Amino acid sequence: MNVVVCVKQIPDPAIPGQLDPQSNFLKREGKLILDDSDAYGVEMALQLVDAAGGGEVTLVSMAPNNEASGLRTALAMGAAKAVLISDPALAGADALTTAKVLAGAIDRVKPDLVLTATEATDGYTGTLPEQIAGILDLPSITFAKKIEIVGATVKVDRQTEAGYDEVEAPMPAVVSVTAGVVEPRYPSFKGIMAAKSKPVDELTAADLGVTPGAGQQIVSVIAAEARQAGEIIEDDGEGYLKIIEFLEQQKVL
Amino acid sequence: MDFNETPEQTMIREAVARIAGDFGHDYFVTKARSGEKTTELWDALAGAGFAGVGVPSEYGGGGMGVTELAIVCEELAAQGCPLLLLIVSPAICATIIARFGDDAQRSRWLPGFATGELKMAFAITEPDAGSNSHRLSTTARRDGEVYRLRGTKYYISGVDESDAILVVTRTSVDEETGKGRLSLFVVPTDAAGLERTVIPVEITAPEKQFTLFFDDVEVPAENLIGTPDDGLRQVFHGLNPERITGAAMACGIGRYALDKASAYARERRVWDVPIGAHQGLAHPLAKAKIDLELARLMTQRGAWAHDCGDAMAAESANMAKYAAAEAALACLDQAIQTHGGNGLATEYGLADMWGIARLLRTAPVSREMILNFVGQHSLGLPRSY
Repeated sequence: MNVVVCVKQIPDPAIPGQLDPQSNFLKREGKLILDDSDAYGVEMALQLVDAAGGGEVTLVSMAPNNEASGLRTALAMGAAKAVLISDPALAGADALTTAKVLAGAIDRVKPDLVLTATEATDGYTGTLPEQIAGILDLPSITFAKKIEIVGATVKVDRQTEAGYDEVEAPMPAVVSVTAGVVEPRYPSFKGIMAAKSKPVDELTAADLGVTPGAGQQIVSVIAAEARQAGEIIEDDGEGYLKIIEFLEQQKVL
Repeated sequence: MDFNETPEQTMIREAVARIAGDFGHDYFVTKARSGEKTTELWDALAGAGFAGVGVPSEYGGGGMGVTELAIVCEELAAQGCPLLLLIVSPAICATIIARFGDDAQRSRWLPGFATGELKMAFAITEPDAGSNSHRLSTTARRDGEVYRLRGTKYYISGVDESDAILVVTRTSVDEETGKGRLSLFVVPTDAAGLERTVIPVEITAPEKQFTLFFDDVEVPAENLIGTPDDGLRQVFHGLNPERITGAAMACGIGRYALDKASAYARERRVWDVPIGAHQGLAHPLAKAKIDLELARLMTQRGAWAHDCGDAMAAESANMAKYAAAEAALACLDQAIQTHGGNGLATEYGLADMWGIARLLRTAPVSREMILNFVGQHSLGLPRSY
């Protein structure tokens, strides 16, 4: 059972992000970390490989400047190796170009299953899993909260607004994993030291036969409207009337 | 010169921060106040291999040094979970046994330190000796195949959660100088004739403080670490890691306090702007930050010097402990001040750190003894005592 997990390395969300004033793209020059939302896919993949009793987890990632520190975190968790596509020609690549690149790298690994997050924490495009599945002509299941492998079939509890659907697909397939559905393991000390010597294959777009397209342009960025200050009512004993009035206005009552 | 940590050191930092962060300061305080132990945190930390980072790899440890153990101590404290036992057990005891124990002793105890399953307290301080190790009065007398220990130790941390205690004893006296010759013994905490009583202290920590009474405690001769009468040299080898990891813990407390203070000062508005915009609050926090980063640098240098056997280890470790304890107190005090009345509220988790931060000005070696050391050894001033 070999699983590819697509992971993104992003600027630390704890540090306020900055946009490049010329291109309006998010600045990604500094140290990047493993997107938290990808840790769930990595954990899920490690559990599936464990349950299968053999195989390995391969990471596939696209990042500028051969940045691999986020990959090391996932390797320390237990992934066996990584493929990193880093190419100045891919700067500002749109989701479709990114999908082509990742699909090209996945295709070389020929895994039984591809896991992704539902969306990245810095971009929130949320289209990549389906694009990858489309390019590779694989079945796609989104918003998995539980994954089970039975023979050559992947069975998924797929989260919906009302609950979940039980769906299945023949493998290989692309499955996006909802954040929070498993508890990502801590990298152990041994895992951290082992990660040092795990292979990270570095590729360019040309290696994968992908020609970056025109990419995308961000023509304008507008600050989100600040939330209006709330109304403060001093409670003189009749405050509850104001609450009722407000709830009636909102047609809640 | 390179001030960057290795990627592995950074990942140790991140992993320990995650483990400790999942437990959090509330967990730490709840356990400490109820008299319970932070066993779950210790097990998670040790289970992932972080308590044993400094234990030689041939005994199942991480094979790293005090540098990495200090990172572990700092990150725990930075999440509001400073663990004194980490300073005592792996930093002092494991270091001494790894360096001076014979093959049998190393094989017997180091695997336990590597997994964190073995916890060992360290007993040197005595009521009548204080900082003067030459005046130790706890004696160990050879009696056939055993030694018999008599005497009293106090302010010994975490005895009730330790399997054994590394006890510093006097085994003979130098006739010319009148100074005691010391030997170190591993004594099981349940040894016959060993009694302990709790010393109530105003420190919010899971580790309790104890007075220990050794009344003819029989210890097998093979529990004497290394060479008889060579204990003082052995102790000094363990005290630098103690100072460095103590300094790292203080630095972590400083970071914990400044994180809370700066977050509060960015958000809290009393007039039109966040209170952090007022220089009356911003400048003291900035100064505390500078003092903290200076202390962190010296702590890292002390760890580096110890790990590579550099002669500056003792001076750096002392300076780091001094600077870090002062910085931690300054950070915590200013964090409390920044929080106004909330600074002393239980909910904000600051005032409950005061005891442990203040302890680090006194222990493991007092501020004044460090100043004595620096005066004498760094400046060549006459010895003061």
